[in-house]
Amino acid sequence: MEPFEDDRLVTALESLRPAPRPAFAAELDERAAAGFPRRPRSGGGLRDRLGARVRAMQPRRALVPAGATALAAVAAATVVIAVGEQEGGSPTQMHLDSTVESAASSPPPPRHEAPARLSQQLPQGAGLPQGAVRGLLRQEAATAASSAAVTEQLANAAGQLHSLAFADGAGKYALRARHREIERSAQIVLAAEPAEVRKVAADVFETVHAYRGIVLSSSIRDGAEGEAGARFELLVPSARLGDALAAFSEVAEVRSRHEATADITAPTVRTGEQLRDSRATIESLLAQLSQADTDGERAAAEAKLRAERRHNAYLRSQLASLQRRANLSRVSLRIETGDATSSPGSDGNWGVGDALGDAGHLLAVAAGVTIVGLAVLGPLALIAFLAWLGNRVRVRRARDRALA
Amino acid sequence: MDGTLVAPTAEAPSDADLVFDRLYRSSRDDVYAYVASLVRDPAAAEDVTATAFERAYRRRSRFDPSRGEPRAWLFGIARNAALDELRRRGRQAELTVEPADLTSAPAEESAAESERRLAVSAALARLEGSERELIALKFFAGLTNAEIAAVVGIGESNAGTRLHRAMTKLREACDGAI
Repeated sequence: MEPFEDDRLVTALESLRPAPRPAFAAELDERAAAGFPRRPRSGGGLRDRLGARVRAMQPRRALVPAGATALAAVAAATVVIAVGEQEGGSPTQMHLDSTVESAASSPPPPRHEAPARLSQQLPQGAGLPQGAVRGLLRQEAATAASSAAVTEQLANAAGQLHSLAFADGAGKYALRARHREIERSAQIVLAAEPAEVRKVAADVFETVHAYRGIVLSSSIRDGAEGEAGARFELLVPSARLGDALAAFSEVAEVRSRHEATADITAPTVRTGEQLRDSRATIESLLAQLSQADTDGERAAAEAKLRAERRHNAYLRSQLASLQRRANLSRVSLRIETGDATSSPGSDGNWGVGDALGDAGHLLAVAAGVTIVGLAVLGPLALIAFLAWLGNRVRVRRARDRALA
Repeated sequence: MDGTLVAPTAEAPSDADLVFDRLYRSSRDDVYAYVASLVRDPAAAEDVTATAFERAYRRRSRFDPSRGEPRAWLFGIARNAALDELRRRGRQAELTVEPADLTSAPAEESAAESERRLAVSAALARLEGSERELIALKFFAGLTNAEIAAVVGIGESNAGTRLHRAMTKLREACDGAI
């Protein structure tokens, strides 16, 4: 046989080309004409069929059910959270007011600003004599032991929850404190006929005095139904707040009542510690001043002493303010006339503003759920992508091995 | 190839359907020849060929003409299906034809030609799998070097070099068998 030339070799190769059976070719043509219907696979279990379907699914089409599933999950989580919040909240539930805490726990201003800010930070009741307030509280502590115990327990429980919620940062002070400083506030709305507004207002005054409270401000308005009413800003000893609110509730029909607490133990403890430090500093500066030999040293010590005394005064008033907030609860009392729905701002009327508020709240919850979901799904998606990539490399290598 | 493909539905066929129809008509026997060369089992070759066309049909709308020739895309799918079949069976890819095919030589074939076919078949069997695949893609499936490069996943010049090297080895093996 002659040596292989290129054309002979190619001819020989082409003669070795496998050809399909005519029956198979015809069958394949039929299947092609029918759009390649899926063939039943013998022995293929549910897993194989499911895998085949997933593999056959186009990525764009897979995005639609995947997106719909993710959207449904977010919606379901939002509903669950929203329902949970609604079930957990009631008009009389105590809310943990973090804004009060954060405002109270904010660091003191620079020393040169302290006197200027001092007057701005004092509440309306800051003009009360300190001795009068302390005497009032001592008296209250003796007479309201029973009701105070229940209120104190509730407040302490709320305070502990609050301390846990803010365990970082200022919370470390709160956790060390044995006695908790709880600031309480309440809003109560009473309903009355226009002709009875003054009588109800008088009853409110009597109740305030009966519970040793203080009327910070009041306004009474006569008029027709819906116009007549009264507003009171009150300070009530915290130890008797529960009893006082109960007494207010007996004056007239209660339309709404809301109570809130905030644990201000942390800023109170911290301010007390800063005050002790400041006193020690003043004593040290006084010692320096007494030992000063030159006028320059004396002047420098006096300047430092003046600044420290200003700071000390600021801290004292800050501490007094905190103690006052803990000892005296602010109560906003409103007397309304007319239907509950006609009164702006009263609870129970659900309008467009409330709807917008609820919608905003739901959107915020949905956004939160989405962020949390992404935080969870992101790493999972990355892992899945890496697994897919690894599997692809593995399959490619396995195919190369199969060929070799 | 005879026969006319009919769209499975009464709707007008899309561009992807028409492109696939043309591709099927022009590639059916080539795909079978290539797959049969890889799996070396006529029954398995038929199954893999059908599977390859099924997969290609399902993915026809995902084919992007700007990324390559349709035949290269189709043979890539067929290659993966054939290699998966080989993996599943745990068999080595052998590009030699079945003995039955060799005995079914044309009646008018001379003894010298028959001997030459046997020598080429035996020489093919001694090549490495990747070399045999290149020869199958070139002479059984009729792909260009560019299409072969796309199917195997190498550069075009690299494909030409490897193919030339495989043909040289095949010729030397055939010459040694004489």
